[in-house]
Parts: sequence; C-alpha cells; structure tokens
Amino acid sequence: MSGFWARQRWWLGRVIALPFQLLLFAIIAFFLVRLIPGDPVLAVTGNQVSPEEYLAVKHRLGLDGSPITQLFNYLGRLVQGDLGESLISGRSVFDDIRTRLPATVELAAMSLLVSSILVFAVSVLIMFRPRNIISRAAVAFSRTAGSIPEFAVAIVFIFIFYAKLNWLPAPLGRLTPGSPTPVVVTHFPFLDALLTGDPAIIGSMLAHLVMPVAALVISISAVLLRLLNSQVEVEMQKPATRFRISTGAGIGTVILSVYRRALPGTVTMAGALFGNLIGSAVVLEGLFSFGGMGQYLVKAVQSADLTAMQGFLIVAAALSLVIFLLVDIVNMMLDPRRRPGVGAKP
Amino acid sequence: MTGIAVPTDVQEPQVPRRGSSKRSGRRWLLLTPALAVLALAIVGPWITPYDPRKVVARPLLPPSGDHWFGTDDNGLDVFSQVIAAARYDVLIALGVVFFATVGGIAVGLAIGMNESQGGPVGWFARLMSRSVDFIQAIPSMLFGLIAVAFFGASTLSLVIILAVILSPYQIRLVRTEVLQVRGEAYVDAARLAGTSEFRLTLRHVLPNAVRPAMYYMSVIFGVSIMLLAALGFLGVGLPPPTPEWGSMVSRGASGVSSGRWWPAAFPLVFLMTTVAMVALGFSAFQRRDDKR
Repeated sequence: MSGFWARQRWWLGRVIALPFQLLLFAIIAFFLVRLIPGDPVLAVTGNQVSPEEYLAVKHRLGLDGSPITQLFNYLGRLVQGDLGESLISGRSVFDDIRTRLPATVELAAMSLLVSSILVFAVSVLIMFRPRNIISRAAVAFSRTAGSIPEFAVAIVFIFIFYAKLNWLPAPLGRLTPGSPTPVVVTHFPFLDALLTGDPAIIGSMLAHLVMPVAALVISISAVLLRLLNSQVEVEMQKPATRFRISTGAGIGTVILSVYRRALPGTVTMAGALFGNLIGSAVVLEGLFSFGGMGQYLVKAVQSADLTAMQGFLIVAAALSLVIFLLVDIVNMMLDPRRRPGVGAKP
Repeated sequence: MTGIAVPTDVQEPQVPRRGSSKRSGRRWLLLTPALAVLALAIVGPWITPYDPRKVVARPLLPPSGDHWFGTDDNGLDVFSQVIAAARYDVLIALGVVFFATVGGIAVGLAIGMNESQGGPVGWFARLMSRSVDFIQAIPSMLFGLIAVAFFGASTLSLVIILAVILSPYQIRLVRTEVLQVRGEAYVDAARLAGTSEFRLTLRHVLPNAVRPAMYYMSVIFGVSIMLLAALGFLGVGLPPPTPEWGSMVSRGASGVSSGRWWPAAFPLVFLMTTVAMVALGFSAFQRRDDKR
C-alpha cells in the first residue's frame, strides 16, 4: 500500500499544497486592502458622517478590533464562502461574483480552447510542410506575438464585419434583442443555451460570440504558436526523435514523442495566459455589451467598493491557482521527467 | 530524378565581424523610427494645430483638410489629441521600462546571488523569489485595475503600478542568468583574489547577467503601452480630458458600429505603430545569436 501512495505522490503533493497557497493569497489580499493610503471608511462615506455611521461602516468593512482579530474574523467568514457585502449595493459579493464570473470565464475558456486546437494543428503542419504557404504565413504571424491588443482586433472586426459587410450581428449583447432567452441554470451563458437544445438560440449566441472569441484567439495564438514552434524545432533534433525515426516507428509515435517533450512549455504559457485572457475578456465584454464580470469590476473600481474588489481578488487568485495546478498536472502527465523526485533532466 | 543532387550554391560560411560598417550603419537606421516616436512624445503637445482639451468644431466631423483625423463625439480635434497623447503614453511606458528593468536587475541579482545560501539571508531570498512568482500569478490587467482603484490614476502612480506588475519578468530573467554566471570560473577566481561579494556582484556578475533583461525591455515597453491603453479603455486610466490613446479608442469604439471609425481608428494606429517602431529600435541592439 505504501508503494501505491509513493507512486501517487507526484500529483497528491501538488493538490494538497493548494489550500495552503490559497490561504496565503487570502492573507495577502487582506493586507493589500489595508495598504490603501488614507482612511478607507472616509473614502467610502465621504467626509460628512456622524460617529455612529462611521462605526457602522467600519464594522461592515471588518475594520473594527485589532488587526489580528480582523484577520481571524475575515478568514473565518472566508471558509464559509462569505466574501462580505458590497459597500455600494449591499448585496453579497459572493452571489454577485457567482452570477457574473462564469460568463467571463466561459469567454476566456472558449478562446483558449479554439486557439489551442488551431495552434496545435498549425504547428503539426509547420513540422511536416515548413515551406507551405500557410506555414510561412503562420510563422510570420507568430512574430507579432504579444503586440496585438485584443480590443484593436475587435474594433477592426466590428467595423468590417458589422458596420461594412453586415455579416455578423451588432455588438450589443449575447443574443439578438427580443429573442427568447435561455433559462439560467449554470450561469455559463453558452452552456445554458446548449441545455435548451433550441438551435435558434444556440445559433444566435454563436454568431454573437464569433467576433470576441476571434479577437481573443488572434491576440493569444501568436504567443502560443511561437513558443510551441521553437520547442518543436528543438525537440525534432534531439536523439530521442532520431532514434524513433531510425527504428522505423510510425508517424503517430514520432509525433507523440516530439509533442510530449515540446508541449509542457506551451501548456505552462497557456495557463499563464488564461489569467490574462480573463483580463482581456473583461475589456471585450464592455465593447460587446456582454455584461459579465467586466462592468461589475470597473464599477467596483470606480466607486472604490473595497469588499467587492477584495472578494474578486480572492476568487481570481483561487481560479489562477487551480489553473496552475491543472497545468502542473498536465505537464507531469505529458512528461514524467517533470515529476518531483525523478532524477533525469528534461 | 536519379543520382544524388549535388548542391551547387555552397558558400563558405562567413565569419561574422563585430561592428562591421555595413551592419552598424543599418543599426542606426533601425533606430530612427524609435527616435521619431521619442521626438513626437517630447514636442507633441506644442505642435498640435488645435487645443487637444477644448471643443473646436462640430462633433463627429469626418476627416477633412481642417481636421485631418476628424473630430470626436464632443467636437475635439482627433489629430491634436492623438499627437498630444503621445507624451503621456510614451513617457509613462519609458518610465515603466526604466523602473521595471533597474528594479528587476537589482532584485534579480539579490535573489540569484543569495538564493542557495543558508541562514536568514538565503531564507529571505527564497521568500522574495516566491513572492515574485505570486505577483506574476495575478493577471496583469486585473492587478492593474485593482491597484489603480487603491492608489488612484496619476502619471506617477501608473508608472509605479505598471513597473511593479512588469518587473517580475525582468527579475526572473536576471535570476536565471545569475544562477548560471555564479558558477563560472572567473567568479570563483575573483572571489579567491579577495574581491568583496558586493564588488564581485557588481563587476563580474552584473555585466554578464543583464543581457536578456536588456532585450526584454522592448517587450516591457510594448506591454506597458498596451496595459496603459487597456486601463484607459476601461475608463480607469488617466482621467479625462488628459489625451490618452486607450481612453480615446474607448470613447470612439461605440461609433465604430455605425460607421464612424475615425475617433477610434487613428489612436489605435498610433498605438500599434509606436509599439512596432520601438520594438524595431530595440532590435538594433540585438545580436543575431540572441534572437529566439
């Protein structure tokens, strides 16, 4: 039995570390909010407040008592999933985030999925037909890595495909106004649309998603493609690849072998990009009037809604930590040399 | 085809000469667009045909001889705004590049040199290293949004916020390089010759560890211009009426779907051209073998 657990250590250790990292992040967020220059209570209420009101707001902010009691109160509520109440609207921050964040995450995840498939396909093409016209165009495109802002692409798309050609629907929401809306089940809009099974709703939502997803795909694919391509080039020259080719292994085996070694760097990058994609999705939601996390967050920032931001910070951190966990596990599955306690050098 | 094709155009491999006149001439040529951007940033606000903060004509006039880039939905001259905005966008980005790189090199050296030491120094260095990873784990856009909420959006606060967001990249690059240089024989030799650890770091490790960070400066510049524009786009960047490309694009974006492209398109073009030109300028200092 101990042998079994020893063999599972590589991923178990990583999973067990997660709650501790989250705790650390929560403590950092706690102190970050207390780093704000000036008195947060006055920043929220303005200068003209009665002493009772002042104390009430202070209590709502969780700022009464010594820093240590504050920290423990805050962590205690956090464990129960209570992120406090918005200072402006008085609604539960957790509920607000739960209804809005899924839409943003869905947009980011769809873009990442589409660009992963595209990048993988194109990199295989480049591997076999490097002088093909598509391969050359793709390599040239990958040089622009990181220098195309997604909102620039989106604005150009809106101008061409909506204003001029009118091929795609107006950037005014996820569905054409007046059309039936799917029942909210999961808060993931596209998933909800799929659950209705109504082809009209699914089609309408897909048409509205084309432009923002394409803009996000364009802005991140270049980065992924450039990295994957350079890694594949390096791994193609390695003795391991030559050995497989020279022993007459099938083409699938060779591809598998090369990509097992070349992919981890790109997977890590994709994980890191997912966080940035959420940020970009926030920007695009404003442009396409999608109403996800974007407007909520900007409103919170503009009205200095501290609890809302503190709550969002923790949720965003939790999300990135889970993504990083997935990245590590995928990488360790792809390339066992990356598991802890393995001697061989990758 | 039968037989073995004999390559006919085989050339002797050329030994690259450093600083050959042809190459360095081209180098300076590569630098001109970047210098033009810098010049525009410095003189921009003085050469605008109209006041970029005042209503000068009817709103939403298309581009014409009087208003080269048209007017926006408030009746402000787009050309004047775009030119005047260069100062804020470019100078903030340059400030970010400077602070992120200098800070990144200092912290990267400190972490790299002390990381594997025992005792409190090594413990502190490892803690720093972990905190750098943490900062990098937070998506930069969201970090920026929240930091702006906390510290406000002024030129100085934006420079500091963006420098903090982007310095982890430099720190990691320098650290990786330091870890390699640290094991070189010349470092041991200097140490045996009695050079103090501080002087050794400065004289021998620093010059050999900063090249990747230097090349990365162009990326930092591009990313900070982009982040600044994205913050402006969300409406939390420099407050209006300060001309800024991102907020201009944001205000113009709603008109794009009804065909009024000019208030959004011109700042976008300037934004992307600036990033490209500065990247070109930095590539002048890049050696062939450093390209990745």
